[in-house]
Amino acid sequence: MNKTLLVAQREYLFNLKRRSFLFAVFGVPVFTFVVWAVVFVVMSDSDNTLGANMTYGYVDQSGILADPVTVSDAPQSFEPYADETSARAALDEKIIGAYFLLPENYLRTGEVQSYSYDSLPQVLQDAFKSFLLANLSRGVETDFPVDRIQQPVTLTIHPLDSGRTLTEANLPALVFIPLIFSFVFLMSSNVTSGFLMGGIVEERSNRIMEILVTSITPTQLLMGKILGLGVLGLTQLVVWGGAGLILINVGQQFPFLNGISFPLDLMVVFVIFFLVSYFLLASLMAGIGAVVGSEQESRQFASLISLILVIPFFFLTTFINNPNSNLALALSFIPFTSPITILLRMGFGSVPFWQIAVSLLILLVTTLFVIWASARVFRWGLLLYGKRIGIRQLIRVIWSSPEMGVSHSGSARGNE
Amino acid sequence: MNSNAAISVDHISKSYGSFRAVDDLSFEVYRGEIFAMLGPNGAGKSTTMRMILDILKPDTGQITVLGGPLTESTKDRIGYLPEERGLYRNVRVLEMMVYLGTLKGMSRANAQQSSLALLERLGMADQAKKKVSELSKGMQQKIQFGVTVLHQPDLIIIDEPFSGLDPVNSLVLKDLLFDFKNRGGTIVMSTHQMAQVEEMCDRLLMINRGQQKLYGAVETIRQQYALHAVIVEGQGQWASLPGVSKVEPLQNGRKAVLLHLEPQATADHILAAIAASPDMHIERFEMAVPDLNDIFIRVVEGAQA
Repeated sequence: MNKTLLVAQREYLFNLKRRSFLFAVFGVPVFTFVVWAVVFVVMSDSDNTLGANMTYGYVDQSGILADPVTVSDAPQSFEPYADETSARAALDEKIIGAYFLLPENYLRTGEVQSYSYDSLPQVLQDAFKSFLLANLSRGVETDFPVDRIQQPVTLTIHPLDSGRTLTEANLPALVFIPLIFSFVFLMSSNVTSGFLMGGIVEERSNRIMEILVTSITPTQLLMGKILGLGVLGLTQLVVWGGAGLILINVGQQFPFLNGISFPLDLMVVFVIFFLVSYFLLASLMAGIGAVVGSEQESRQFASLISLILVIPFFFLTTFINNPNSNLALALSFIPFTSPITILLRMGFGSVPFWQIAVSLLILLVTTLFVIWASARVFRWGLLLYGKRIGIRQLIRVIWSSPEMGVSHSGSARGNE
Repeated sequence: MNSNAAISVDHISKSYGSFRAVDDLSFEVYRGEIFAMLGPNGAGKSTTMRMILDILKPDTGQITVLGGPLTESTKDRIGYLPEERGLYRNVRVLEMMVYLGTLKGMSRANAQQSSLALLERLGMADQAKKKVSELSKGMQQKIQFGVTVLHQPDLIIIDEPFSGLDPVNSLVLKDLLFDFKNRGGTIVMSTHQMAQVEEMCDRLLMINRGQQKLYGAVETIRQQYALHAVIVEGQGQWASLPGVSKVEPLQNGRKAVLLHLEPQATADHILAAIAASPDMHIERFEMAVPDLNDIFIRVVEGAQA
């Protein structure tokens, strides 16, 4: 077999079996499932305690509820009480969960008091609001359905340049999707390129590197590693994609998640950006792994790079409010922040095609440069141990591509 | 160039900045021999080995390995044991050996089979499934050497193979080396242990500060450094013998003395004279050929003086 493929195969199989990888691949989706499940349970639970199947009281001193109409399909029912004392007694005996007090001047001020032992859930407030609205609208001469007065706008947004249709029902999903994509992007490119760097640091500090480079060329080693771990990253994506599909199907049961789907354009852009920036990160990490002195030092660099990658998250609200602001535009063109910026912007609004194209082009050129430079640094640094390497030295190495550097055991030591 | 040469090094030099690590070095390693590279620390042994292996390029000069310049396919016919040892740690022994074997061009099945056979020979068959990090240091060193010869190379280059080995494992390694040689393999090894060179090696190269100091067959070099003297042990007035110019007690001999001879005298004359003399008895009589250790020290100290 081709030696590059041998390295790729080894890197893939070895890292596939690692505990940290298995956790990232399977632990994260399971964890997400659990969190979502807990959220649903808590949400439906809060609906039940002070929501459905419960009677609530009201004391009307304003007179508008003298002959009330009820909202037909509401799960909550509202019972009148003559005065506060009787309502309070019913509350204390847990006949009702809460009661509302409409004072005499309600029509003028709109002020309503509520009394309960538990906190008042939003659903109940909404239900009482609907109840009031149904009764108030009787005083208005109109043929319009009460429903329209209660909810005059159900908006469906059509951003014409993206071709996507956004309805109010899937708006919460809308915020989630780009976040999920960005998270998956970060996790998977970080995990794999981190493995790549760790592997190189280990091979250098174990000194097995010297045996490797007398069997294969540094380029074969580098390409094999990038390839093997790239396939590993894709494996992770496939598993997560599958988990995501299951989650969506399960999610259809819940109105909250109804609108969640994977928009195709977002998927395509995601995969392309993922692949290109994986190569960027992997070759960068390989170059760093070839010159840092220790595992610890390499982790510092890795977290620094992750920090740069997540910069777009700091401006999340800016992106939601204005996906086409100057800041968003700038971050879309800077190689390390562009993948996540583009993904977030595409989710929240629409991104003109030319911007995606330019962003991708800049990313691609940067990636090619980093691969080229890293290959030189990689070759040079493989056999150098325990030596601090300055940035100027690195620039010289990238510029002139010297032969492999070695550490000397001799007492008389050269300066480089 | 000798067609019998496994390695031919022709006037190579290598500098790191202003430090001349290897200075106009030429030598050949013949096929099927054990060739020793000697020299104090920092003499340029490892640098020379790395140039032979194409890890480093000589500034000037040429190196031919196994009949030509080093290529990808030549690399598969060479085994290398670097001075600084290392193995993967969190991998099973067999898995690691198979991987390193396949990188040398073996098929997976072949690598697997050879690894198991080698582990058997090393008495480590039951360690195959263990992780490398669980092995003792001695075992790791045996595995390390095993990886060097796993792919049945024609040539192995081993940097200080005996360093850190206990006597038992040294013997195991020595057996493996002779076995490799008997099957026609060529061995280049650097070492500090002169006794090993005298016992095992056919020829040697001694370098100091990157330059050749001694080069040739081990026996020839010892003869070159032979003193015009004999070592005797026994009873007698040695100074009274004809042809003896000076009697010198040997440093670490018990009763042995070194008899320096006059220019025209030979060892045969002295032996005959002792035999003819009734009040002299010898228990030991030998040519004063220094061991390599003495030669090594003499060469290195001579260079520094």
